[in-house]
Amino acid sequence: MKIKLLLILLIFTGLMSFVAHKDLLFFAPKKWPKPVYNFTNNSLDKTKIKLGRILFYDPILSKNNTISCANCHSPYNAFTHVDHALSHGIGDSIGIRNSPALMNLAWHKSFMWDGAVNHLDMQALSPISHLDEMGETIENVVLKLQQSNGYKRLFYKAYGDSLATGERVLKSISQFMLTLVSSNSKYDSVINMKASFSIQEKKGYTIFLKNCSSCHTEPLFTNLNFENNGLSLDKDLKDYGRIKVTQSAKDSLKFKVPTLRNIEFTYPYMHDGRFKTIGEVLNHYTDGIIHYKTLSQLLQKKIKLNADEKVDLTTFLLTLTDKSFLFNPKFGYLNFRQ
Amino acid sequence: MIAHQSLKLDSLYTLFNKDSIRITNFKFYISNFTFLKNGQIVFKEKNSFHLLDLKDTNSFKIHIKSPQNYTQIQFCIGIDSVANSAGAMGGILDPTKGMYWTWQNGYINMKLEGTSSACKTRNNEFVYHIGGYQYPFNSLQSLIFKAVNKQNVTIGIELNKFFSDVNSNTNHTMMSPSLQAVKLAEIFKTIFVIE
Repeated sequence: MKIKLLLILLIFTGLMSFVAHKDLLFFAPKKWPKPVYNFTNNSLDKTKIKLGRILFYDPILSKNNTISCANCHSPYNAFTHVDHALSHGIGDSIGIRNSPALMNLAWHKSFMWDGAVNHLDMQALSPISHLDEMGETIENVVLKLQQSNGYKRLFYKAYGDSLATGERVLKSISQFMLTLVSSNSKYDSVINMKASFSIQEKKGYTIFLKNCSSCHTEPLFTNLNFENNGLSLDKDLKDYGRIKVTQSAKDSLKFKVPTLRNIEFTYPYMHDGRFKTIGEVLNHYTDGIIHYKTLSQLLQKKIKLNADEKVDLTTFLLTLTDKSFLFNPKFGYLNFRQ
Repeated sequence: MIAHQSLKLDSLYTLFNKDSIRITNFKFYISNFTFLKNGQIVFKEKNSFHLLDLKDTNSFKIHIKSPQNYTQIQFCIGIDSVANSAGAMGGILDPTKGMYWTWQNGYINMKLEGTSSACKTRNNEFVYHIGGYQYPFNSLQSLIFKAVNKQNVTIGIELNKFFSDVNSNTNHTMMSPSLQAVKLAEIFKTIFVIE
């Protein structure tokens, strides 16, 4: 009997190291491409992630201390803003776009619907200073943080000195955002042979591969490119997308292809949030495409789906829901008193 | 290395063309100092970024330790595309320095603000924020000078020339990357003259 006890202890050591591995701050899921983000310039650290997380949830980033990142990027909705077609900021001002969901950002090479931002670190500057979002300046954010004893302690813990700087604020927010990896949906379990699709989900997956996957490419469910997906121009918003950045006519009405991961929770859809349901989105792709000059090459041929096929496809899209991401306590609200 | 001369912020100057002009803000980056001999690089300053701000005249004196055997000095006006795409940086490259565009990424290579009697704008104001690092709007400019005195190099910045080459009557506001901004950057480059 005693000999057996020794063996159990050995196995226990093995388990411990497995747990330690799972506790990595960031890991690229199996079969995924290499992340684009250069971690050598901003290597992840628990105290920096915590600081970034607190900043993410703190309205101190806005001019009148009312709007935090999480106002438009709620964790329970895959970090987007549900129920609002267009995101709103300080003083109830309304922007022109639907806030994108935040996940798997380490793999993205550009940010915003029009790709105006070239690096994750610099992304937060845009909403902080936009008049219809936080209406603040990074200079003033840094001043406010420098005056806060709570933040002084956090900066000290993270950077070894208590001074808040623009670089540190931005890099800390990046650190938190980099940890937002969603790779644990039913779809992922199927790909990793740990589960199997229902017959309907499987049919839907086949339809997806045939009609959707050239833009919404696995495993990120976006090819990260800019495409015109045939939406009519909104006459009030007059948002021509990427052309604003490149000033090139070929980019007119192009927007970044969004991920479909957690699509169940990221409604409304499209850059201006015009569709409330997945059904409306599918109807657009089968019957609503407008053939503008810059329409995506991949949409030139009409997509034909009957009602049953749309249901099958929707069933598959729901397998992209990742509850361990949506309800991960590590991503939730935190302030510096905690 | 570069000494500013008599130009003072908020003072009124009369240009050759009789326009009266007042500079309220003048800041720009210079970067990538390289020392050459017969076209061969003998020394490159590491982490070579300098922010010159007329509010702080000391910023116009740059100290570089370099070997003696050079005949030419090369540097850039602005921030190159590598640094523009590298994410958040500190020191003079920190975005709190007021030299970074937030709505569309990129450093502002040069800021020149003030008033001129030539500008038919509100309060006769002009605003030149010159930047852009992506083709075809790359406004980074490279300069090369023959070095005569190797201990103490003085480069004049002749703003007079900028205002005689730019028609500030029509061209008075620039705050985004564009072909026009590139043109302004090219004019700005020509006002650097070795003394």
